Amino acid sequence: MKWSQFFSTSIGKKLLVGATGFFLCSFVIVHLAGNFALLSTDEGRGFNAYADFMGHNGLIQFIAWGLKIVILLHAILALQLTFKNRAARPVKYAVQPGNATSSWYSRQMAIMGSILLIFIIIHLKDFWYAMHYGDLDKITYDVNGKEYANLYKSVHVAFKELWIVVIYVIGMIGLSFHLIHGFKSAFQTFGLNHKKYNGIINFVGVWLFGIAIPVGFAAIPLYIYFCM
Amino acid sequence: MNLTLKVWKQNNAQDQGHFESFQVSDVSKDMSFLEMFDVLNERLINEGKEPIAFDHDCREGICGMCSMYINGRAHGPWNETTTCQLHMRAYNDGDTITVEPWRAGAFPVLKDLMVDRTAFDRIIEAGGYISVNTGNAQDANCIPVDKTSADAAFAAAACIGCGACVAACKNSSAMLFVSAKVSQLSLLPQGDPERKDRALNMLAQMDKEGFGSCTNTGACEAECPKGISISNIARLNREYIRAGFTQE
Repeated sequence: MKWSQFFSTSIGKKLLVGATGFFLCSFVIVHLAGNFALLSTDEGRGFNAYADFMGHNGLIQFIAWGLKIVILLHAILALQLTFKNRAARPVKYAVQPGNATSSWYSRQMAIMGSILLIFIIIHLKDFWYAMHYGDLDKITYDVNGKEYANLYKSVHVAFKELWIVVIYVIGMIGLSFHLIHGFKSAFQTFGLNHKKYNGIINFVGVWLFGIAIPVGFAAIPLYIYFCM
Repeated sequence: MNLTLKVWKQNNAQDQGHFESFQVSDVSKDMSFLEMFDVLNERLINEGKEPIAFDHDCREGICGMCSMYINGRAHGPWNETTTCQLHMRAYNDGDTITVEPWRAGAFPVLKDLMVDRTAFDRIIEAGGYISVNTGNAQDANCIPVDKTSADAAFAAAACIGCGACVAACKNSSAMLFVSAKVSQLSLLPQGDPERKDRALNMLAQMDKEGFGSCTNTGACEAECPKGISISNIARLNREYIRAGFTQE
């Protein structure tokens, strides 16, 4: 069996969706850790230096472009599978079971994922595009010191707008339910279903990726809007 | 008790189909769901009308024929039961019960509540077997099998191929069925020689038949009349990875 055949079956595509999903899970941890620098009242000294480093380091730029490809691959394959799955039932049932046999968020992965994708596009336009191709204010912290693009300020200005805060919170609700099901689901797709480990996988999926990380992300615009 | 049934009526595979309502009176709580249909059909025949077509055979929960999607649930509201094992005490006087056929592109409706499940037969033909030489049966226990594997294989072999997993799955996926059939053989030494081809060929046939893919919602496990676990689906995934990474 050729690799191209291996990855073109239903399980093969799901393996790619799962693997890219795991990579994206690791990414959200790194992204959240950096974001906490936004809460500092140092006028962006820490955050802008961090953003500058992330934006100019060759290795990180390489991974960042890989990340965008991974997001696209994850979305395209998942949508492809979703459309095929919908087509597998041409005539729908008149009566649906509701939540009697499965959780609602496990059935709405495509909707949650689409909310996330739209959110990511808005988010990249707001900050990533502005950082790389826009003209952000410059700031320097020492006399004769290096000039930094003031992304800190542009984030703080944005998060003083209620509608932007609302979009970010909705995006994170999408992330939460997507990961509550997605994290443990990827383990199952890789065949990693074992009574000894299912408990811990489920716990990490729900509490770390499903709750702690999305709450951490959402807390930043909320904190800036209400408290800074 | 008196009940209103809303039943899917469809003359043949080409027909559009529609719901038709039937009043059924004096239903005993001790009747099975299929016996209630028998009573209704007898009445329809006596009235010179066409009876409702539905699949049934053993009426003791082992043949897997009685495919009915009842009020949004495969085989009705009870866990680990087939429609023939569902009794009318599950319902109350005055209830309206909607009965639909299994809905899946790979299971076309033949007539009323009967669907064509030969897609499952073709998946079995693709690899759900072991090749053995003819001749006398071997002595028992000449191939050692550990108890854990034997139990897991037996639990997977409990699958009766009824298709409730496909009916319950939002994607009409046949992964629980295929995984049970792959597992029961791959767990035993007798199934080992064809292990890799089996996983690859049965999955290929499943995809070809137009079943959806698994999104791990667990609805199949919740509706399976034989309590087949989705840990079998994880095993099928492992079998697929093992075969795909090593088969040339």
